Order: sequence, then C-alpha cells, then structure tokens
Amino acid sequence: MFTKFEHFAVTSLMGSPEEAPPRKAGHLHFDRDWEKMAFGVAIALSKQGHYEWEEFRQTLMETIKEWEDTHELDDPEWDYYQCWLTTLEKLVVRAGVLEPGELESQMFQFMNCKSKAT
Amino acid sequence: MTNYPNFQYSRDRETFSAAKVKALESLLIEKGVITGKTVDTVLKYFETEMGPFNGAKLVARAWVDPEFKKRLVADCNAACKELDFPAGMSGAEGEHMRIVENTPKIHNVIVCTLCSCYPWPTLGLPPYWFKDPTFRARVVREPRVVLSEFGMKLDNSVEVRVWDSSAQIRWWVLPMRPAGTEGMSEKELAALLTPEAMMGVATVQVKPRT
Repeated sequence: MFTKFEHFAVTSLMGSPEEAPPRKAGHLHFDRDWEKMAFGVAIALSKQGHYEWEEFRQTLMETIKEWEDTHELDDPEWDYYQCWLTTLEKLVVRAGVLEPGELESQMFQFMNCKSKAT
Repeated sequence: MTNYPNFQYSRDRETFSAAKVKALESLLIEKGVITGKTVDTVLKYFETEMGPFNGAKLVARAWVDPEFKKRLVADCNAACKELDFPAGMSGAEGEHMRIVENTPKIHNVIVCTLCSCYPWPTLGLPPYWFKDPTFRARVVREPRVVLSEFGMKLDNSVEVRVWDSSAQIRWWVLPMRPAGTEGMSEKELAALLTPEAMMGVATVQVKPRT
C-alpha cells in the first residue's frame, strides 16, 4: 500500500477534535496566510527527517494541553494554529535546525524594519 | 473597541505570528533547509489531491454514463482505476470502498459506529461531527430525526438505510442527480457535489450560474 507522507501526517491528527486541523467541505481550512506557511513548513521538515511526525503530534497535544490548563474552555482567544506555531518553534530548536533565540532575533529585525518603513 | 482589553492583544498577536512565520521561513531558506518552493509543493498536495474531488468526479461520470454507474456500484475500486486518478488514490484507508446509490425510494447515509472510518480518497477530510459519539449513536437509532436536523426532509415512503463503515469496507453515497442539470457538462456536475451529499446528509443543490 502506497501512502503519501502528507496524507499520513494529516490523518494521524484526526484522533480528537482539538488535535485535528480546521477543515471545511473536505479540505483543510486556513484563515490566514501564515497558517498555511506554518502548516507546510512543519510537514516539510518532518518529511526531510528533522523530526519524526509522531514527535510533532505529541508536542502539539502537549501544547494544546498547556493552553487548556491555563485558559477557560470557551476562551475566544483559542487558536489552533497558534498552538501549531508554538509546537513548530519548539521542534526546530529541539531538532537543532535553529539555535535558541535565533528565530526571535530575526523576527524583531523584521518587525523593526517594517515599522521604520511605514 | 477600547472596552475590549483583548482586542489590542489579538492584533499584536496576529502581527507577531505573521512576522514569526516569515522569519522562520527566511531563516530556513537562508540555511538551505528548504527552498522557496518546498512549502508550495506540500500545500499543493492538499489542494489538488486530498479533497473531495475524486468522489465528485466519479459521481459526475456515473450521472452521465449509466454503464459506468453500474460498474461503480458493482466494484468501486475497479471503477476508480478507469478514471485518471493520482497514484495512491486507492491506498490509505480507501482500499475497499463501496458506493450505495440513492433512489427516489431509498436514501443512504454513512456512519462509522466504532471509530471514524471514512473514505478519504473520495471524500477528503472528515468533518468534526462524523467522529462525534452522539452523531454516531443517533444516526443508527433515529436516522430520520438526525437527517432532518441536517435540513433533509424525506418523505415517509422513502426507506432510510444506514451503512456502517469498518476497517474492511468504507461506504459512501451516490446521490441522485438533481433536476435542472440536464444540459450540464461532467465538470459542471462535479462542481455541484459536496462531501455531505456523498455522505448522505445533504441533497445536491443546483447553484445559480454566475
């Protein structure tokens, strides 16, 4: 049986409503462009072997649990892809793809650059 | 707006998240971990292969070709091979698919009472409620009530059949072709199909042409 990694990765997330990505009419549903990018990067890095998909999945569940433990269940601030992004940040450092702090400094450089330009 | 203290926080969070993902992407490209095309390739898979397109194509073909319909109902997997589907289409949870045909006398609906077995290759990603234990239990016990909650009004003379998927067989539904679609092409017909219609919880609606 031939299974594409992309297919495997997404179907493995269907264990619980919290863990499964938002979807609409049979498709993945993204509200913002950065969600798409975070989603694609997470799958691409695992496909390349930087971490096992199961490790991403477990870390995502831990991240969601941490959020749930510190917020009310009906908190409107709940955001699936925020948890996804937090998971991805943890994984890139743990896998040694990025140094700790490297992402933050690049991000602030971008933000400062942007605010100067506007 | 100033009455909502969270508002500012949300907007900041959005700016932060967008900047963070952009920074991540640029660092990964700079380090040669990914290229500008890597993520597009991954996303393209989900946009073109993992969705309800295949099911829609099969149903549209069955609507215009009665002989194909017979073959599809008799052996779904063999009929899948007749259409030009991407490799892996009949793998991964789609190995043993069976389709059941709706008629004016029989309405079919699919469920998986044990877990959430679902014909991914034809219908794409399952909706949240498909896995919901209440839906799973109720659709077997009182299918007409559940269907009416989905907005489906079935005549009392129509027999409702509930098909319970398992690891061995994944069921899906061949909906009835709606009236007013006589002149439509196969492509136009495929565009009318939704996963819900092919699960048996909705009828096919004819959208006004734009």
